[in-house]
Amino acid sequence: MKPAKKLMKEELGQFVDHLSKEYLVYGPVARRSDFSFQEIDSAEDLRFDYTTTTIPPKKFFHHRQTLLRYSGEDYSELESTLEKRFLLLGVHSCDLNAILRHDRLFTRQFHDPYYLKLRRNSAIVALICTHIGNSCFCASLGTGPTIREGFDLLLTDLGNEYLIEVGSSEGQRMIEELNLQKANSSDLEKKEERVKLALTQFVKSMKMDGLNQLALKYLDHEVWSLIGEKGGLAGCFACLSCGNCSLVCPTCYCFEVADIPELSLNQGVRIRELDSCQLLEYAEVALGGNFRRDRKARVRQWMTCKFGGAGGGFDSSCVGCGRCINACPSHIDITEVAKSLRGE
Amino acid sequence: MKLRCGFFKFTGCSGCQMEILRLEDELPPLLEMIEIAYWPMVTSKRWEENLDIAFVEGSVSTPREVKEIKEIRKRSRHLVAFGECAITGCIPSIRNFMTQSEAEETVYEHTDWIESIKPSEISEYVRTDISLPGCPPHRNTILEVIKAVALQRKPHLKHHSVCVECKLKDNNCLLTTEKRPCMGPVTNAGCGAICPSLNRECEGCYGPMSAANASSQSQILAEIGLSMDDVKRKFRKYAGTTDEYRKEAA
Ligand code: SF4
Ligand code: SF4
Ligand code: SF4
Ligand code: SF4
Ligand code: SF4
Repeated sequence: MKPAKKLMKEELGQFVDHLSKEYLVYGPVARRSDFSFQEIDSAEDLRFDYTTTTIPPKKFFHHRQTLLRYSGEDYSELESTLEKRFLLLGVHSCDLNAILRHDRLFTRQFHDPYYLKLRRNSAIVALICTHIGNSCFCASLGTGPTIREGFDLLLTDLGNEYLIEVGSSEGQRMIEELNLQKANSSDLEKKEERVKLALTQFVKSMKMDGLNQLALKYLDHEVWSLIGEKGGLAGCFACLSCGNCSLVCPTCYCFEVADIPELSLNQGVRIRELDSCQLLEYAEVALGGNFRRDRKARVRQWMTCKFGGAGGGFDSSCVGCGRCINACPSHIDITEVAKSLRGE
Repeated sequence: MKLRCGFFKFTGCSGCQMEILRLEDELPPLLEMIEIAYWPMVTSKRWEENLDIAFVEGSVSTPREVKEIKEIRKRSRHLVAFGECAITGCIPSIRNFMTQSEAEETVYEHTDWIESIKPSEISEYVRTDISLPGCPPHRNTILEVIKAVALQRKPHLKHHSVCVECKLKDNNCLLTTEKRPCMGPVTNAGCGAICPSLNRECEGCYGPMSAANASSQSQILAEIGLSMDDVKRKFRKYAGTTDEYRKEAA
């Protein structure tokens, strides 16, 4: 590991300008009532005090993509239109862990060229969380707020400056030309204090161990009818099957593929976009058959997958980002479902 | 062979038909593909031959329309319920929550001149092959239906919530974060979440989605402060007489 460095807060602008020479830089900015990863023109827009973004960084890798253009029997893959590499600046630990899970998922049996192309074109500067949202529970899952792997650089807000740790040779290159001060052992101690302080801020937690088995064992557990039909688990309403939870979940990966022909009919494009097991059409097969016609079965599938009990295993399981809780109009809370399954 | 198409207007505002004219750039290639066999809005040509696709806009609200929709069904290979009025009764169906006499007397001086029945979706009278939701339907979905018929496959239309499109657009949620009465969680997608993308709540103009849970949605709207009368109005606006919304709209 290369020695850690320090960046004074007033130098953040220069740092971003420097990165912008090599990369398209995206980072958290404030919108009317949320935070979002957007292209950064000026460091002033950056909001390193953000709690969470509505949409996770998965939008850069796996959201909605044109896969290929076809013409008659021929097809050609579309060349990437990005001239530069892109850099995600200020990625939190939950989201970084989710990206690492998707890296595994998309290279398991088949290598997914579309995901990998974007992923290989990206770099990540991670950020230790200092502002914990009310729905966050990464600490209880071991997916935050500390970060150990997967970043090129790692920033920690120490008050007047950022501690910069290097995680890769690309990260080293990012700061090479900058004349940064070396961090000393007291800076590293300060980082540990920051993490400790963050740990005291968590409101929610979830005990993941064995949940995958429990979910599969208790297919008729009362909790499924509470969240799927009746409502009433910790004040929730019944699920709407709206799909918000999985669209915002950083580890949800399911997608749909469709051909969009031009009016000539023999040419067109093939696209893919995120799908969700919460939607009725997800499990529909020919002649209108459907394996999960009941709302209860769908919401159970979603939870089971987030507990690591579905096809994606732990590569699509929960990292504790809290987004699904924030995004659910019916206030369905995965941590409450877990408690109920455990009989707590 | 071009697809022989007819465009019919029942009780509606012509907005759905206008949406086809608004295709503009796509119109020349579209006209390579379809033949306009009948479309009073653009040509005085009379309807003679049987149709490959009949697009029917509007709800059925007169005895004459009842006869006409049956005739159209008989003479068309694909009958498209074109837009919300044809699918759910849409805005005209708001008047189904009052008596016929009250509706007539509110509007007309001489009610004996009026020959009208409660507006209903066209599937009340005939079988439809394709529903093209929206008030009005998005142009891409109109094109998709025509292309699908030409390719002899099922049209790729979305039946899930507007929320999915809203999230794919990277919007923040008006309902959960700003406590604004957005109907996205029960409304059929297809518009591309136009309204939330422009900081307006979804009003539900694409009708109920495939698995709409109106009961939860009404509890959520009440929770954020709508009166029960306003909740009712939300559900009545576009699809109050559908199976999905009937209870919440009543
Ligand atoms: S299940 Fe919920 S809390 Fe867990 S990673 Fe997904 S969105 Fe975040
Ligand atoms: S099956 Fe799993 S990854 Fe796929 S949409 Fe459902 S919860 Fe998400
Ligand atoms: S966000 Fe909530 S209501 Fe919507 S599908 Fe997910 S659990 Fe159900
Ligand atoms: S703003 Fe409306 S359409 Fe968008 S996610 Fe929220 S509830 Fe759904
Ligand atoms: S967002 Fe809702 S009201 Fe607006 S166009 Fe779409 S379906 Fe209609």
